[in-house]
Amino acid sequence: MNSCATKVSAETGIGLQLVQVSKSFGGVAALRPSSFSVPAGRMCALLGPSGCGKTTTLRIIAGFETPDAGRVVIAGQDRTDDPPQRRKLGMVFQNYSLFPHMTVEQNVAFGLRMARLPRAEIEARTHRMLDIVHLPQHGERYPNQLSGGQQQRVALARSLVTEPSMLLLDEPLGALDKNLREEMQFELRQLQREFGITTLLVTHDQEEALTMSDMIVVMNRGEILQVGTPTEVYERPRNRFVSEFLGTSNILTLIVTGRPDADTLRVRSAEASEGAEFCLPTSTTAEPGRAITVAIRPEHLHVVPLADRMPHGLTATVTGSVFRGASRVFQLRIPGFARPLFAYRQVTGPASATALPVGAPVSVSWTPGAMRVLDDE
Amino acid sequence: MSETRVLRQVERRIPQALLLGYVLVFFVFLLAPIFFVVLVSFSDAAFITFPVTDFSLRWYYRLLEYTPLLASLWFSLKLAAASAILAAILGVPAALALARSTSRVADVVSTFLLAPLSIPMILLGVALLYYLSAMGLGLSFISLLIAHTVVSIPYVVRTVVAVYRSVGRDYEESAAILGASNRQIFTYITLPLIGSGIFSGMLFAILISLDNLSLSLFFGSAQTNTLPVVMLSYLQNQFDPAIAAIGSVQMAIAFVVLLMIERTVGLEYMSSPS
Amino acid sequence: MTSDRAQLVNASLAARVAMPAPASARPGAQFAAGLLPVLPAVAFLLLFFVAPLVQNGAHSIWLPSPQGGRLSAAYYAKLFFDSYYLTVIGQTLLLSVIVTAICAVLGYPVAYFMVRHAGRWTGLIIFLLVAPLLTSIIMRTFGWSVILARNGVLNSTLLGLGFIERPLRLLQGPSSVIIGLVHVLVPFMVISIAAVLKGVDRRLEEAAQLLGAGRLRTFREVTLPLSLDGVATGSIVVFMLANGSFLTMLLLGGGSVVTLPLLIYQQFLLVQNLGFAAAMGNVLLALAVLSLFLQLRLIRRQGVHR
Repeated sequence: MNSCATKVSAETGIGLQLVQVSKSFGGVAALRPSSFSVPAGRMCALLGPSGCGKTTTLRIIAGFETPDAGRVVIAGQDRTDDPPQRRKLGMVFQNYSLFPHMTVEQNVAFGLRMARLPRAEIEARTHRMLDIVHLPQHGERYPNQLSGGQQQRVALARSLVTEPSMLLLDEPLGALDKNLREEMQFELRQLQREFGITTLLVTHDQEEALTMSDMIVVMNRGEILQVGTPTEVYERPRNRFVSEFLGTSNILTLIVTGRPDADTLRVRSAEASEGAEFCLPTSTTAEPGRAITVAIRPEHLHVVPLADRMPHGLTATVTGSVFRGASRVFQLRIPGFARPLFAYRQVTGPASATALPVGAPVSVSWTPGAMRVLDDE
Repeated sequence: MSETRVLRQVERRIPQALLLGYVLVFFVFLLAPIFFVVLVSFSDAAFITFPVTDFSLRWYYRLLEYTPLLASLWFSLKLAAASAILAAILGVPAALALARSTSRVADVVSTFLLAPLSIPMILLGVALLYYLSAMGLGLSFISLLIAHTVVSIPYVVRTVVAVYRSVGRDYEESAAILGASNRQIFTYITLPLIGSGIFSGMLFAILISLDNLSLSLFFGSAQTNTLPVVMLSYLQNQFDPAIAAIGSVQMAIAFVVLLMIERTVGLEYMSSPS
Repeated sequence: MTSDRAQLVNASLAARVAMPAPASARPGAQFAAGLLPVLPAVAFLLLFFVAPLVQNGAHSIWLPSPQGGRLSAAYYAKLFFDSYYLTVIGQTLLLSVIVTAICAVLGYPVAYFMVRHAGRWTGLIIFLLVAPLLTSIIMRTFGWSVILARNGVLNSTLLGLGFIERPLRLLQGPSSVIIGLVHVLVPFMVISIAAVLKGVDRRLEEAAQLLGAGRLRTFREVTLPLSLDGVATGSIVVFMLANGSFLTMLLLGGGSVVTLPLLIYQQFLLVQNLGFAAAMGNVLLALAVLSLFLQLRLIRRQGVHR
């Protein structure tokens, strides 16, 4: 079961490498020259809205499209010129693509049959794989007799039984309902870890990417915007798109008014000629007068009644409040900023305990590192 | 108050009822000739009269005696099968290539392959007769085979393209990722999945060939008469219920074939207007 | 060793990054080998479909004579300037137009019913529409002669019910030809209209009704205009087919209706005048090509491209 892992890491330690791969369709650039690499045995998510180029990238890696330029290296071998048959990949399609005219067992055994392995070995490996995905009794059924979750497991079994050097997943959980999705997220992750197989997951669902992967490649409009671990990408988004695509963010444009010390900037709202100034702990250097954009997540804003205010808090007024079950969302107006800020507050006791009436004066504060300065776009 | 509600419900139902009534009359109109042909075929009279008073199977027995009819039926079946097979051999590879192609050349080729459907068959018959005679083929089975294949190819191509497109490329791509060569993909995935489409296309070709009169008229001779041609001359010379009997037999065959198409692929492919 | 291999790979990569991917590795080409497989079918049709028609065209402009023959438009001149032949062409067109109009009027309600009210009977309706198409045209025409004959079904019923006093003489006249043609061609019209009607969003009708339009008004101003494309396509198909038919005229018309195809048939059987028949055939072909062209324009506009 660990043959995949040892084989791959023995070669280069890099599971997948894209070098300056680009692709256009009819004059429209679906993928601008892009590079990234995935360490062997890791799960990487290609995340972005529809049309961002993630599916094109996947199809180039699979071999269904030829890139206009660049190389695709899978498990240390340059596969750019190879057809899909020779790339030793496994792939689960969005709707599983189980062959409708074959039984579950025939589906899973297909790749082994095409490789002309001896029948005894095919049977043994097929049955073992069906056991691993918890479908030992389903060999004789046809795909249309299975539930969505079962079909997906068969699709996984089919792609893993050939011991590929990499696994490709195209929006694997999109067709499942919410409960099943959460269950499959954990199962998929577990399988991937057990096999130690380099995996590439394509999705538009940021929650899926954050939950399941070791690294995320955020894409938009054919370009890679940021590559990093889930924590990095979520907590330290490089620009506005990444910040807004992964979770909600409050985005503020500020003008630097001074630099009290090496680690702090004094800033005020860029929308008003004057207004509350506050200190922004950051290592970014910026000259007074320059405009910068910052982002802070609603869950990082700390809201208390004005009477209990903290030293560096900003004064604000509550303009709206929504009870969401596990948390409460406050809409806040801060003088100098035209758009309201949103803050989340965990509901830890009775709902009424966290309530703050509309119009109540409050103080908003945050931990120093929580407000991130974004790159200019 | 409930009276007005009932009245309003009736008011709403009236147009729908009228429409339903019209549709029923329409189908009576559509099926009436067929019905009466079958009815007349069971008549006991020596010639065609209405109303039919006595019933018997004598005209069906007569069919068995009238050798030109039976001989031509056999000839027509052979011709239909042969032209369907030839149309499939030529048309299936073309359809497979066209279904996955989006270029403008593919569009043009597609229109070209469907063109025989739109040409008046009598024109094709005249033209082909002289052309094939000039080639030395004259009135023969081969000539008929060629002519029938020309008009069958569009049916095969259209059906197979539609079925292949509806299957989609995902299965083939899955098979490719799993390591299947192109030949293996075709044998284990493509062919099983579109087999019913090929079969239906050939069934259409058989039906078209069996009923084809306009083309076959020109190639008729003692050895090469198809069933419709023989039926036509019988109709023009001897106006008795035997013609109804053979018509009913032919309709029964067509009915069975149509059912087979319906069960395998569905009739949607017949119902596109072009 | 791992890093050695990695360095080797990186080095070779750096050298190859600048090279564009070779076109021969195009995966798309693998599945279809391009359009090569269409060649047998295309060649067959070129040889046995296009060539005969071209030869036919050549025959139509070649006037044979003892000295060999010469190019001439004599046959066409005869067709268009002789009043008899001009009448025949006119009759062909007129008949086709009448049949098309009747099919449109008769067929639309059936298509509407099929799309809006049939529900699970839709499959049966399609079956019943298509089945007559695949029974022999001789049979259907024969059936009509049984029905429309002097002592046939229709007359017996009408006489019996007292609606008429003397039997109607329908056979051997234009009315039976029209009835026969409409009977054969109306399924095509229904199917064409139904295909487009299916795409008319019911919610548009509902919106109109919410805005106060009655059922009839909604139909007239919303449904009908949106489905006109289907009527147009169906009309072209029916027109084309009506133009090319001759069996119905032959068996039901008794010579009262002479259309171009019937004339070709007679010319072929009786006169064996190849050149003239060829010219007539070409006029018919021109009509067919024109109709086909219109149909393609319409289908492209509908977006039902294939």
